[in-house]
Amino acid sequence: MKKIKSILIANRGEIAIRISETAVKMDIKTYGIKTSKEPGAYYLEFMDEVIDFTELTNDIPEFLDIDRIIYALKEYDIDAVHPGYGYLAENPYFAQKCIDEKIIFIGPSPDAIYKLGNKTIAKQIAANNNVPLLEGSNGNIRNTKHAKLLAQKIGYPVILKAASGGGGRGMRIVEKEEDIEKMFRMAQNEAEKAFADPSVFMEKYVRNPRHIEFQILADHHGNIIHLGERECSIQRKHQKLIEESPSVALNDELRAKMGESAINIAKASNYRNAGTVEFLLDELGNFYFMEMNTRIQVEHPVTEMVTGFDLVEWQIRIAQDEELNIKQEDVKLTGWAIECRINAEDVQTGFSPFLGTIDQIQIAKTKNVRFDTGISEGSNVTANFDSMLAKLICYGETREKAIQNTLNALSKLYIKGIKTTIPFCKAVMNHPKFKSGDISTSFIPNEMKQLFYQEEDEELIAAFWASLNHNVQLEIEDNTYVDYEKGKNITPWLMNKRLKSL
Amino acid sequence: MMFSKSKKSKQKFIACTNKNKKYEFINPKELYIKQGKENIPIEIISDKQGFVYLIWKKKKYIVDIIEKNQNQYEVLVNGVSYSISVESPFSYKRRKFLDKNKQETKVERVQAPMPGKIVEFLVEENQEIKEGEPLLILEAMKMQNEILSTIHGKINKINFHANDNVMKDDVLIEVEK
Repeated sequence: MKKIKSILIANRGEIAIRISETAVKMDIKTYGIKTSKEPGAYYLEFMDEVIDFTELTNDIPEFLDIDRIIYALKEYDIDAVHPGYGYLAENPYFAQKCIDEKIIFIGPSPDAIYKLGNKTIAKQIAANNNVPLLEGSNGNIRNTKHAKLLAQKIGYPVILKAASGGGGRGMRIVEKEEDIEKMFRMAQNEAEKAFADPSVFMEKYVRNPRHIEFQILADHHGNIIHLGERECSIQRKHQKLIEESPSVALNDELRAKMGESAINIAKASNYRNAGTVEFLLDELGNFYFMEMNTRIQVEHPVTEMVTGFDLVEWQIRIAQDEELNIKQEDVKLTGWAIECRINAEDVQTGFSPFLGTIDQIQIAKTKNVRFDTGISEGSNVTANFDSMLAKLICYGETREKAIQNTLNALSKLYIKGIKTTIPFCKAVMNHPKFKSGDISTSFIPNEMKQLFYQEEDEELIAAFWASLNHNVQLEIEDNTYVDYEKGKNITPWLMNKRLKSL
Repeated sequence: MMFSKSKKSKQKFIACTNKNKKYEFINPKELYIKQGKENIPIEIISDKQGFVYLIWKKKKYIVDIIEKNQNQYEVLVNGVSYSISVESPFSYKRRKFLDKNKQETKVERVQAPMPGKIVEFLVEENQEIKEGEPLLILEAMKMQNEILSTIHGKINKINFHANDNVMKDDVLIEVEK
């Protein structure tokens, strides 16, 4: 295969910038896509050339418009396409279309995307390769009666998941039999809406598990390695909020065992390129295969920080048929890295999306701090895109130092104009159980009394600042209004008389 | 003369939080906060980028007013928001007076906790419902959320239809206690 000279980045935000940075380093020309929803977006400044999609008026989001993207690739004679995460990253039809049009899709084969993207088939692959699985429905649930019988067999609690789902959507935990029929219908409904596929399967629900995932790299020459684990247990409603690498829960022996399982799944599905195998780890150290993500992940920087490898670079190198020259024994996890997702969400009202304009953004960058973002001053946060604004990734020689560096960086990260998850991240970093590594995917509901970090006198400061601003405001108004009571004290008699007349 | 004693005007501001905690400041423009008997100075710094910091008792706080409506302020301090209403002694008394006289409301308004789209209503008008019973399904950021009733009562009014888009805090359903 020929060397890639140009890449279309079929994505936006921080990941588009992230990909372009590696492309620049590799002397590859980058093309970006400009949409009518954010024509002045920050990521476009990082592209060598911008392709204008603003004329598109159909309902399909621009980054999902396969025909238009393929047309652009051919029109500009671009060698390869990098889909980033989300959008077309795990769409086997798009990957196939690229092959048909002789364009390099930076990612795995359509067949691998399809098989691993379908959770039922993926579980079958795991089962055939001696990778531990949670007891489950081994396929889709046919109807409510079937759901009821299965749940009785597996035992409550059970979890219902959309067969074509991901990212926590279409998932329902059912605690007791009374709820099973209603929950099954809701899960189907949600799956149908989100993925145009109402298929739902069931499995045993593990209480307080850890989310551990393994980063895989596989080339076209039969070489396959893992780059250690990431722990993503700090989640809310199955959405990851804080990730780290390595994990306190793994020793070398367990790491080797889980890594081998991850590699076995990748091998069995003829996997190429970068991928992630997700496991649940229970309190006894048993692990269970969950799914394989066939793309670069949001949290990939923590792996890059502790291994020193550029994952996007390896994605491109593998796509242009280079041989993976890293051997498993060359992979060393050195130090500790923590990633905080900075989302435009109001933690104080249940993480509801916070829309608005970013007036200013300030970060103190040091050698231990990496800040991947797709926003800059004046960026608008709209309902068109997801709420993630940036990722703050901090390194330390030990976990303790990484936490300390994260706290320092968070205290110097200011985003003016909107509310973000920064106070939440501070609350986690300050939590004694997080510090001791005693975490699970139930950490937020079980351990966090308050979801945001607060300093002692903050409310007093807020009250003062509001009063001072009001004082100034009133004086401005005073210049236009005549206040007949100015300088006079209102007598209690006068006040009471007025109150009565209200 | 007896009545012309010139006195420097003392302006008092009462800042109330949404949990009815109150803070009093006299002449805030003099830049101190009184704690006990001591006046502790507060310093305002603004940088080139437009960030504003307050320094009090050797601690630095970043402040930002994200919403303002007459005397209602939404202030972010270190990223955490506080709803503050600033009252004068007179308006404060009036507020307390009105609060006291307010009839205890018999209607519970179920508001949208986040912007989203209504998938379906699970109840009808005039239906009796129990606490914890699901009222509707709201889809926000592609997640379906059940909105539960916080009280026992009767559905008084449904203000929207399935597939309607709603804003945060829109009153979706009114429940009569």
